Amino acid sequence: MKKLLAAALGILTAIGGFVDIGDLVTNAVVGSRFGMSLAWVVVLGVVGIVLFASMSGRVAAVSGRATFEIIRERLGPRAAGANLLASFAINLLTLTAEVGGIALALHLASSVEPRLWIPVAALAVWLVLWRVKFQVMENVAGLMGLLLVGFAIALFQLGPDWGELLRQAVPPSPPGTEHPASYWYYAVALFGAAMTPYEVFFFSSGAVEERWTAKDLGTNRLNVLLGFPLGGLLSLAIAACAAVVLLPAGIEVSSLSQIVLPVAQAGGVLLLAVVVLGIVAATFGAALETALSSGYTLAQYLGWSWGKFRRPARAARFHLTMIVALLLAAGILMTSVDPVAVTEMSVVFSAVALPLTYVPILVVANDPGYMGEHVNGRVVNALGTVYLVIVVVAAVAAIPLMIATGAGS
Amino acid sequence: MNVGDLLDARVLGPDGAALGVVVDVRLALEVVDEPEGGPGAGEDREEAGHDAPLSAHARRDAVGGARLVGLLVGPRGAGSFHGYERTDVRSPWPIPQLVRRRHRGTFLVRWEDVASVEADPAADPSADDAKPRLRLAPGYDELPAGLG
Amino acid sequence: MTSDARERIVDARLHLLGRQVLDADGEPVGAVDDLALAGPEGAGAEAGREAHIDAILVGPVLATRLFGGRVPDSRLPRIAWDDVGHVGTAVELTVPSDRLDAVWVERWVRDRLIARIPGGRHDPEAEE
Repeated sequence: MKKLLAAALGILTAIGGFVDIGDLVTNAVVGSRFGMSLAWVVVLGVVGIVLFASMSGRVAAVSGRATFEIIRERLGPRAAGANLLASFAINLLTLTAEVGGIALALHLASSVEPRLWIPVAALAVWLVLWRVKFQVMENVAGLMGLLLVGFAIALFQLGPDWGELLRQAVPPSPPGTEHPASYWYYAVALFGAAMTPYEVFFFSSGAVEERWTAKDLGTNRLNVLLGFPLGGLLSLAIAACAAVVLLPAGIEVSSLSQIVLPVAQAGGVLLLAVVVLGIVAATFGAALETALSSGYTLAQYLGWSWGKFRRPARAARFHLTMIVALLLAAGILMTSVDPVAVTEMSVVFSAVALPLTYVPILVVANDPGYMGEHVNGRVVNALGTVYLVIVVVAAVAAIPLMIATGAGS
Repeated sequence: MNVGDLLDARVLGPDGAALGVVVDVRLALEVVDEPEGGPGAGEDREEAGHDAPLSAHARRDAVGGARLVGLLVGPRGAGSFHGYERTDVRSPWPIPQLVRRRHRGTFLVRWEDVASVEADPAADPSADDAKPRLRLAPGYDELPAGLG
Repeated sequence: MTSDARERIVDARLHLLGRQVLDADGEPVGAVDDLALAGPEGAGAEAGREAHIDAILVGPVLATRLFGGRVPDSRLPRIAWDDVGHVGTAVELTVPSDRLDAVWVERWVRDRLIARIPGGRHDPEAEE
């Protein structure tokens, strides 16, 4: 019974931890403009992140080396240094978006100006990183993030024409009003939102932090295998809500209040409160993960002591890095940039940066020098090669599409 | 002299013909026996149970001295994925195949066959990170580069 | 991998450079940035003459390998190869890091900043 409970907890945490500000914003924007015609990208992204996360977790658990240590060893200092600069910058952008997301959600809940919430949010994130046990931190944020299931409830209450939603999704039929370049631009953005590099830094470093055993590896594979696809369903529910309410009304999403509009319409104040709480938890959890990732990447590249399992004083530069990253994120937000715009940027650049982490992990997962008998099997490698192509194509296409479409506008 | 000085240095034959650059430096690590019951001794780790961290199973040797064996000379610089072509890893397609193709013609020369390590006249003398130039001794052997 | 059981053949770039260095307690010390060569009996390494690895260099070499330039050899934090115990996915030392000069920056940040913030020495894994 206890075992079953632990397994359930892991899966629920993975579901709640899947959605972050990137998924929220991108799915709502896409739903409001393209209906369900990009649902296939969410499926593609979920399969990709399951593959990528479980592979990096296995590499970290078996070799004892987390992602950026491997990147440094494999690419040499120069190429790995360029990789670090790109990964760190994009991770900082994502962190900025997540902290902004917390502030926006708290603003919705309180109608206190978001700029007043930014320092509060950043400080709260830091306090948790400073004080709270790794496992507690992960579980609480993940479980609270489950409240986003409110989007699915709202969708049922809206009583949509399911056949119509399905017709939009298969075969994908983009609305005639949209330019194909915009369609593909958002396809890349949605892919980047599902397969964000920080999830991999976090997942692999977590495997080292928790000193995974063969049993842990199995458990975590199961969590990811069940939890991420269910989390993907939440993403689809967010897109569907937007497709049902915002698309016919011609509302293009540019703020968090528009994202939750369908929820308010369907379920009233109570459901809205649940969903807003879910957004706070989901963005807070992701802010923790991205802040940690900024410390993980830099410390692992430079060979510093790192990890939340150590006392802060035993990983001093790692903690200093996280403090600086949070200060930078808060500083960027205080210049009153629009967090939603930052989010849209961050998911596209995530897609650009993805091969930088994906390729070294895929290579090392096949190297018996690191993996011994735990090298990739045939099926994983076949999938791995398919995703290698997809990941590279998305990365190469992202910037030209961004320029051609004026960032999707 | 550091290993880093030798890496990417130009290599000339005894007659002065350009042979390529140093892509890696081969070493022989003396493997020593673990003291009885010492931490992580090879056979003991086999017994590390289901509950031991997986990383306890990774290959790990107790080592003594590290002797310089020779240099790997390739037609072009190492680029990324240093040394990948010397392992027998074949997957994930197509990365090993591409790296191997790029490094076709890489060979090993014994350190004994290196006649001199001198300042490279082709390099900018004012640059403080100027790479040395290596010249091989007459009758040097080109040995296969594989690690197998 | 090797025919001779007493030796393990490795390539510096492939197996050593960039690897994580851990101290005797498993604490990270730095990354292998370069390896210093020496000849017999403390002489400098010479072309064609017997040579071995004398020390691991960690720290600022990384900057020079990234951006070029050279740090005078005497200024580099070095760890004697004699202090290396195991080579695997990491290079493991037989000495604790407190005895190494290579970690002074970490010590500085710890003593001047992180340890001074309340809770800086709190063990996150401890039950409260």
